[in-house]
Amino acid sequence: MNRLKAVVSSIEGEESLHIIGFDYEGLCLKMMGLDLPKGLALHSHVILSVKPSHVAIAKNISGALSYSNQIPARIASIENGTLLSSIVLHVKSTEIQSFITLSSAQRMDLKVGDEVLLLIKASELFVLEVLDA
Amino acid sequence: MIKIEVEKELLGSLGKMNLHVNLAIEAQSFVALSGQSGSGKTTLLRILAGLEEAKGRIVVEDEVWLDGFKALPPQKRGIGFVFQDYALFPNMSILDNLLFVRQDKALAEELLSMSELLELAHRKPATLSGGQKQRVSLCRAMMNRPKLLLMDEPLSALDPLMRNKLQQEILSLHKTFGTTTIMVSHDPSEMYRLSSRVVVLSQGKVVQDGDAKSVLLRTQGSQKFSFEGELLDVIKVDVIYIAIVAIGQQIVEVVLDASEALDLQVGDRVNIGTKAFAPILQKWEKK
Repeated sequence: MNRLKAVVSSIEGEESLHIIGFDYEGLCLKMMGLDLPKGLALHSHVILSVKPSHVAIAKNISGALSYSNQIPARIASIENGTLLSSIVLHVKSTEIQSFITLSSAQRMDLKVGDEVLLLIKASELFVLEVLDA
Repeated sequence: MIKIEVEKELLGSLGKMNLHVNLAIEAQSFVALSGQSGSGKTTLLRILAGLEEAKGRIVVEDEVWLDGFKALPPQKRGIGFVFQDYALFPNMSILDNLLFVRQDKALAEELLSMSELLELAHRKPATLSGGQKQRVSLCRAMMNRPKLLLMDEPLSALDPLMRNKLQQEILSLHKTFGTTTIMVSHDPSEMYRLSSRVVVLSQGKVVQDGDAKSVLLRTQGSQKFSFEGELLDVIKVDVIYIAIVAIGQQIVEVVLDASEALDLQVGDRVNIGTKAFAPILQKWEKK
């Protein structure tokens, strides 16, 4: 499971809807959620997660993207199946896994060591655990 | 305001257990009492009704119902009690079942007409359906204009459609008469619709107390969509893994990565969750 240790840096709320900002080793991440997870407040330490199937990969990207979370990463390993490609990426001090189709991995010519951008929608990032709750 | 502070030693499923409950209930509120069987819910209801002895103090508005071991007898407490099994007098007509509690024909007729039972007033209980019997029992419980209405899983023997209808009736009776109510229930939709407060008992103690959403919503971090299940199988497909999980009467599948799959064993109790944004909700089409 993908695990990112982060600190809550901002909380915006509109009734039960919230956008939470996190500081992940100097990167700003955003998450959209309903009621705040139990125990979560400004400066809380949390473990964030995202399903590998919700992590998109971009290479040499230009133009504007609506993705709230655009994280620079380096490809650490690639495991190709018949249809899918499971890619592990270095991000800061941790690793994030992404499942994409094999055809995308081939079309983009992804190789170990490539510098890429991870794209995660704010609605797909989630708090796995509030550490100091 | 109703103040409850009671203690009683019970023989529960796991041996001796001490029922110890301390609750203050606002007048005119509707409290759902929940918890696993053997947690002390029914006993608490029976203590409030005076059907069971206990030590402690119960004060309802300005009346003392229990002081130490000194208890006001059940018939002197202004309570209405609705049981799961209706408990109507079989040899009396519907109307007489109500009038037995109090000779107030106007109130009896008002209650019966609110519950669409006026036309059945002279029938005997045996000729009624389960839903109708429970409505009679609810009307009867309201006949002495109780200060406290106690209901012990009143709808659990009824089919979902009838349950839904009776929930509406209970709600409208509660709105009309403003009777402070405590209802034992296991049904989350019932608790959400009817109650302003949910109290959960476990091993004789209050373990959760709050509004229905905060008590009943199962969350795990930011996951608002969360179920408990049993892992039936983990299958490797291509470079991913698929977990097969039984939830209630259904089986669902969840995609896992290798590290998650390695951590699991068939038979594990698991929690399945996702954020509230991902699930797709579609109306169930009648075929």
